[in-house]
Amino acid sequence: MNSLNLSTLIVEPWIVLSFGAIIFTIGLFGVIIRKNILIIMMCVELMLNAVNLTFVVFSNQLTDMAGQMSVFFIMTVAAAEGAIGLALVIAMFRTLRGVETDQIQLLRE
Amino acid sequence: MELKLIRPELLTMTAQELRALYPILILVIGSLLAIVLSVIKLLSPKFSVFFTTVLVSVAAGLVALDFFGAPPVPLFNHMMVVDPFSTFFTVLFVGALLVSCLVSFRYLDREKIQHPEYYILMLFSVIGMILMASSLDLIVLFIALELMSLSVYVLVGFRRADRRSNEAAIKYFILGSVASAILLYGAAILYGCTGTMNLAEILPILSRSPEVQGPLFVVGMWLVVVGFLFKVASVPFHMWMPDIYEGAPTPVTGFMTSGIKAAAFATFLRVLFSLGYGKAMTEAIQVNVHDLLWVIAVATMVVGNLIALTQTNLKRMLAYSSIAHTGYLMIGLLSGHKSEFGYAPIAMYLVGYSIMNLGAFALLSMVGGREDHGLNLQDFSGLGKREPWLAFAMSVFLFSMAGVPPTAGFVSKYFLLYGAVQAGEVPLVVIAVLCSAVSVYYYLRVLVYMYMKDPVGAPSGSRHSLWAGAALTAMVVLTLQVGIMPARLFEMARVALASF
Repeated sequence: MNSLNLSTLIVEPWIVLSFGAIIFTIGLFGVIIRKNILIIMMCVELMLNAVNLTFVVFSNQLTDMAGQMSVFFIMTVAAAEGAIGLALVIAMFRTLRGVETDQIQLLRE
Repeated sequence: MELKLIRPELLTMTAQELRALYPILILVIGSLLAIVLSVIKLLSPKFSVFFTTVLVSVAAGLVALDFFGAPPVPLFNHMMVVDPFSTFFTVLFVGALLVSCLVSFRYLDREKIQHPEYYILMLFSVIGMILMASSLDLIVLFIALELMSLSVYVLVGFRRADRRSNEAAIKYFILGSVASAILLYGAAILYGCTGTMNLAEILPILSRSPEVQGPLFVVGMWLVVVGFLFKVASVPFHMWMPDIYEGAPTPVTGFMTSGIKAAAFATFLRVLFSLGYGKAMTEAIQVNVHDLLWVIAVATMVVGNLIALTQTNLKRMLAYSSIAHTGYLMIGLLSGHKSEFGYAPIAMYLVGYSIMNLGAFALLSMVGGREDHGLNLQDFSGLGKREPWLAFAMSVFLFSMAGVPPTAGFVSKYFLLYGAVQAGEVPLVVIAVLCSAVSVYYYLRVLVYMYMKDPVGAPSGSRHSLWAGAALTAMVVLTLQVGIMPARLFEMARVALASF
């Protein structure tokens, strides 16, 4: 009985790239479909992480460190974005008493 | 132990490189100083931070103007470049910052949101804009874009007690982050195709080996383009703009129409050319990009102008007119590589458009009541009798937006359309002229209300802020000056865009 040898297991880059594309699409559709702003923010994070995955794969393919470096920058920016987003959600909750997109329709004529 | 540096030249900086960085350095130091001043209660943060911001923006603008015309200086291992293009836009951004700050001072008092953070956030977003216009690397570009956007999300929601402001901030935040994510995904794919994230290196790679421009490259390029189309608010990605312009504090709206739009367009230009638009792109892709942008430009002009016709709130009307102006700007983008002016009309148009919009929103923030009520058409009834000077200024800006001589709006539109005719884009020019004719209706309707209707309500009697008045006067003078003597500005625009 032979066990799975991890060192010979090769993940084709296109699999990971398609995986990234699928996650990105899920995030994009989530933003469009979901109503809760917190979930929308999670979907945006999902999109950014799909980008990270894509960067890592390409970086590995090209044997170029720039791609992996950018992942750190993107993670930092995503954290800043999350902090500001949550602050805005709190400000919104104070005046609107809710975090659903249905409730924010004052600016429509 | 001896430390060995692989490339020691990256740790030093020549005098010229330092000089190129001065505007950014002044702004960064100024914003840090403003943060410190904002906690020193002894000095009254309200005044100290305001004056710091004003002084810093004047200083940065003068230094940038002084540097204009110098040969390009690459910085930080070619991550960014300070060339006439970025210097030109630096002056524009800093000018927008100065005017917005002067206008905001009294406005913030009136809205009871006089917090020093406001000016600091504006400074940060201008630093982001300048870095955006001078970035040569897709990741630097993304970080600069986020620096600009994150500051502005907060500024849009600055009237925390107002539901509309909160709603606008949330909407802007969500759509802005999605746009950034799409742009970034495009950047990742371009990196995979070309093997580099440096914009200056992408162009030679594309012209050396056209086979790089496969389907994956096209996907990446379109994702980046869509990200930028979101930021400049062209149809079909324009839905966010009216809501956000209406909900944001009025001076911030003025800041956004000038600064953010110019920054997004400047970066859009640089990226599009780095991807070989008009140069190294293969014939098929070039035609494809041209045709799709053509359709988008027409749709943007038509939709922006037609919806503006039905608006009664002036802020919302100007938002739709801003969408229409994006359409005009895209004409310049489509025709630049075939006309003798090149892309200079775009830079010129952005300046002219920024001047008149900053002026118009300065005026709206002076006229408007608390919580930005009183910006409907009826509220402007009889303004010509109540406040003759403000009504005159508003007329100048509206004539300029409609493209009536002798104003900045007319001259910049003239150069833009002249270049387009030279490039053979006659149908586009015809549509643009027809759209301008339609736009005259909704611009001049405001004039009808101001001069031909009886005043409503008692005159407010409140005195206007000296700062805002000075900014407004400067914008009127500039609108007329550019309209009467456009040669100098046009020459600067030509120098700025000579490299494209």
